[in-house]
Amino acid sequence: MRAWKALAVAGLVAFVLIILVPFWWIASMSFKTYEQIQFATSIYVPRPFTWENYAGLWMDTRFPLWLRNSLITAIVVTAVTTVIASLSGYAVARLKFPGREAVASLILILYLVPPALLFIPLYRVLAELGATNHLASLFLSYPTFTVPFCTWLLIGFFKALPKELEEAALVDGASRTAALLRVLLPLAAPGIVASAIFAFTLSWNEFLYALVFIQDERTITVPVGLNLLIYGDVFHWGQLMAASVITTIPVVALYMFIHRWMVEGLAAGSVKG
Amino acid sequence: MRSNPAAAVGATGARAHLPARRRPWRRDTGTAFLFLLPLFVLVVALIIYPFYRAIWLSFTDKLVGYPERFVGLRNYLYLVHDDGFRAVVRNSFVFTVGSVALKLLTGLAMALVLNVTWRWRHFFRGLFLLPWITSTVIIALTWRWMFDAFPGRGFFNSLLIDLGLLNHPIAFMATSDGAMMAVIVANWWRGFPFFGVCYLAAMQSIPVELYEVASVDGAGTWRRFWHITLPGLKHIMIVTILLSFIWTINDFNIIYVMTRGGPGTATQVFATYSYEVAFNQLRWGRGVTISIFLLPLLVVSIALVSRYLLREKDA
Repeated sequence: MRAWKALAVAGLVAFVLIILVPFWWIASMSFKTYEQIQFATSIYVPRPFTWENYAGLWMDTRFPLWLRNSLITAIVVTAVTTVIASLSGYAVARLKFPGREAVASLILILYLVPPALLFIPLYRVLAELGATNHLASLFLSYPTFTVPFCTWLLIGFFKALPKELEEAALVDGASRTAALLRVLLPLAAPGIVASAIFAFTLSWNEFLYALVFIQDERTITVPVGLNLLIYGDVFHWGQLMAASVITTIPVVALYMFIHRWMVEGLAAGSVKG
Repeated sequence: MRSNPAAAVGATGARAHLPARRRPWRRDTGTAFLFLLPLFVLVVALIIYPFYRAIWLSFTDKLVGYPERFVGLRNYLYLVHDDGFRAVVRNSFVFTVGSVALKLLTGLAMALVLNVTWRWRHFFRGLFLLPWITSTVIIALTWRWMFDAFPGRGFFNSLLIDLGLLNHPIAFMATSDGAMMAVIVANWWRGFPFFGVCYLAAMQSIPVELYEVASVDGAGTWRRFWHITLPGLKHIMIVTILLSFIWTINDFNIIYVMTRGGPGTATQVFATYSYEVAFNQLRWGRGVTISIFLLPLLVVSIALVSRYLLREKDA
């Protein structure tokens, strides 16, 4: 028994290291000067510590613009997604209509259609609409993966809510819409918030569509900007690492709120992060 | 509820004495249609329509700037005989099978470790999910640097040289095998927490009594694992393998950012090659055909996984 216990502890330590070392490598590099990186001095813990990469990133590159673009996109997409997913999720979970099971299956299937298949014809369609090279192309294309995912999440969530309150409101003579707004919404708030955070995170991290649909360096989002910095002729590694740290912080912060949902969702064997 | 007549009327009585024609089944259809309309519009306009156009495009020789012409199966035949495409198929399967296998084993280990952790289990579980929520571009960046040949930037080279295990840095990213290993590692690091959390949840729903009975019967740790834990994980294992297979074989971000498909075509996979052909060579017809080659496999995988997932949802 002792042997198994020691193995378990060793395993835990190993996993903690595996998870944390890459993050720490990036963070520590973000606090080193160009010379420190170039001449490989003070490798593991940066001494002296410097904020110059963060300052340089903010003032000398287009990073603030990219951050703004990512933020605007994420907010718009989250709003659109939350509305559509809430309506659709409620319909499939609570309303009775022919073809309900088919719609539920369809939503799951749509979620699994890979962007790598759609990006070329989507580019054409968006170009024909004149949306390419504008954030609008992302407003239109991102919901194609955020909506199926969030709808699936909310279907599960709405199904788990107690029906009695809703039915009581209906007996009182309320229409379906009034029942939804007055009774269900307060109860559904946590799930809807979780779904919104998922949509935000998915949108914030997306890369392929942002890369393909937008070329102007002032309109691109952060992931695409980072990619540009990596393959540019002159790039500042410290700034690149600083950008990575800044980009990851909002997601990790939001993640603290949805951590529980994420695990429950994964536990139900049906979701992707 | 049944003993309370008022509640019974509220819940079922109000509907039971409605004529059959006006049962809720009909009444809801109008509302459902309205609620589902935005989803329907989105799906048709931005998923189904582009999908249809993709199929059509694969039968043309569309080159950016030129009008397209119908050429039948020419793109498909070209790719079947193209060495570059054959390398892509090989690489994609090596990448996918390698990463999924590693993720599965590591996920299992992670679940086992967390399952027996009593203190702060939730904290560790949350911590271990961090790679899953981080942007794949940043993960690709991170691992590109971890494997860098220069000790100031490359973690492995720094560590191995400092430990005295290496005299000269290894240029991982510059060799075919090294680059493939690097992208597999990045994909593995990103993905194993998904497996781990799913398996942990499944393990925790295996009834404790099964283990207790087995212990009483004299079964050791290994036998309990083999005969109780693993069978209990069968369903979730199939689901996770299928899902991860679908996601990994279509992966673009990690490989594109880490290696651009190189060196040469050593790490070129379906998604990156499709991008390369469509946007660097400007051949949309051929580019989209590359993705369509995956369609049969994708359809089968999606059909299988939906069946498993929907079956569990009803249970």
